[in-house]
Amino acid sequence: MATSIRSELQSSESYQELSDRLRFLRQNVSSVVPKIPGLPYLYISPFYLLFSVFLLFPTLYTIYLSVFSYEGPAGSEYIVSIQAWIFELTIPKISNLEFVGLAHYESLIFSDSVFHLSLFNTGFIFLIQVPLMVILALAVAIVLDSKFIRAKGLWRTLIALPVATGMVAYSTVFLLLFEGDVGMINQVLMSVGLDAVPWLTDRWMARITLVIAITWRWMGYNMIILLAGLQTIPQQLYEAAEIDGATMWQKFRFVTVPQLRPVLLFVIVSSTIGTFKLFAEPFVITGGGPANATLTVVQYIYRQAFVQLNLGYASAVTVCLVVIVSAISIVQVRRGGAAQ
Amino acid sequence: MMDEPQRETALKFGSYAFLLAVVTLIVVPLYWMIVAATIPQSELFSSSIPFLPGTQFLTNFEALQNRLNFVRTIWNSTLIAVVYTLLSMLLCSMAGFAFAKYEFKYKEPLFYFVLATLVLPIQALVVPLFLLVSTLDLLNTYLAVILPWAANPLGIFLMRQNMQSLPDALLESARMDGATELQIFYKIALPTMIPSLAALAVILFINQWRLFLYPLVVLQEEAMFTIPIALSQLVGAQRVAFEQIMVGTTLAIVPIALLFIFLQRYFIKGILAGSVKQ
Repeated sequence: MATSIRSELQSSESYQELSDRLRFLRQNVSSVVPKIPGLPYLYISPFYLLFSVFLLFPTLYTIYLSVFSYEGPAGSEYIVSIQAWIFELTIPKISNLEFVGLAHYESLIFSDSVFHLSLFNTGFIFLIQVPLMVILALAVAIVLDSKFIRAKGLWRTLIALPVATGMVAYSTVFLLLFEGDVGMINQVLMSVGLDAVPWLTDRWMARITLVIAITWRWMGYNMIILLAGLQTIPQQLYEAAEIDGATMWQKFRFVTVPQLRPVLLFVIVSSTIGTFKLFAEPFVITGGGPANATLTVVQYIYRQAFVQLNLGYASAVTVCLVVIVSAISIVQVRRGGAAQ
Repeated sequence: MMDEPQRETALKFGSYAFLLAVVTLIVVPLYWMIVAATIPQSELFSSSIPFLPGTQFLTNFEALQNRLNFVRTIWNSTLIAVVYTLLSMLLCSMAGFAFAKYEFKYKEPLFYFVLATLVLPIQALVVPLFLLVSTLDLLNTYLAVILPWAANPLGIFLMRQNMQSLPDALLESARMDGATELQIFYKIALPTMIPSLAALAVILFINQWRLFLYPLVVLQEEAMFTIPIALSQLVGAQRVAFEQIMVGTTLAIVPIALLFIFLQRYFIKGILAGSVKQ
């Protein structure tokens, strides 16, 4: 009798203690504001210092240049003139600027058909390549994350290696694979009696060749990020789903996808931005051809800035590109975040 | 209807077949690169396509070393990429932590502003960056390539996304145990985020390692060349030194492979789950 009262008392005491602690915890959890005012700014200031000097300033300068016209240097006032490999680039002395207001933007939006074509090409690659690559990367990441796969590190390393290939190597390898009748792929096709494919000379095939090349190079990179994300998903969630009798598809749909959402969003947004910034691949593999069918926006910027020395016009194209891609990214982030 | 062990076997078989197919498509061009690096150029364009590596790797490497001081080039690339990666990881994880776990004024505009610059193509910034770097008297220095993308928009985005999954309860209990805010960052947040940090390190290192157009403009002295720039010098108007390019490329891939292998042990499962359980 006495013991039972005592135990009841004890448990009520501990209950009191527990509820106090919980209340204390709850108060603290609701206030994420730190005890030191200005602390978050301390955390972000080193980043923003370097950011302001090396990214913000060049960005503002680009916006500034976009309302000027630069008619080329008087005489030969070049600061830099470089010729290396397929690159011929010149940075002139910035002088002789003439204010033109929004004239560059006007001609970009209403009359520059090469710019419009470059937007179409980039958009096409974006719509085909990003879904293809993300699905493939996710599939490989999930397979590599399963318990029974051995030598995971080796697989992972091999799949991600193409990212490390630089532009020179990349172009050499892909030209040797795809170019004309001498390319290895066409040689193999012809040796088994099939017709050679015009990989680089047909408009649509050239675009598809680019999609193949970009997927080859970037799939493993995205797979690594997705795999890192998969590994932070608590194993208990899968165990709980298994106890509830979930099928593999249900586990994927209701555990993996929601848990992976932030990382998946990251991969999709950065791949989207990547395709809109595409430069190396078309520059070295197709040269933007045939008939500008694979000319990307950034390649167009490069051409305008370093070859034709229309610095102001190139800056206006840059601003347009940034506006378009920002809009797409914001939509992606909003939709990705809202669905949580 | 298959029974359980049969399904398991089918699943294993399918998974391995899938991996093997993907790896084959990826590795064949790379394998062929190694072959090209180990044979004399005359064999490279002979009628029978060579399939096996030769024995000329060292000879080809010597030719490359004599033409450009390639050892020095590897050192340049390594130093730049390592310092850049460490600096950028520190900046991005600090800022990402603040954005994920604290409330402060102008938080959203500050973050989205950085995010917007993520879409800026490097090629478009080369002109203003060159002018800036030459004004700061940094041309032909390592800093010219290390500093510009150390405040990396991609990095801050990745760290913020990942730090958001850090449970508030974990940080709270540390606060109640008397940890300072700084301790919470480097004793709780950073160790828990090791898989993400490893992934970020790989991304940053690779981005710097293969940067081409910008270093080409700001590092014009041969002693400062990075690997991609050095390799581009081998493509001449008359002769393309394929075998030397392939040697250089093969060597350039080694550090990336080592990076993956070294960082592997940090991609450990359930670090996050483990720290929540305690």
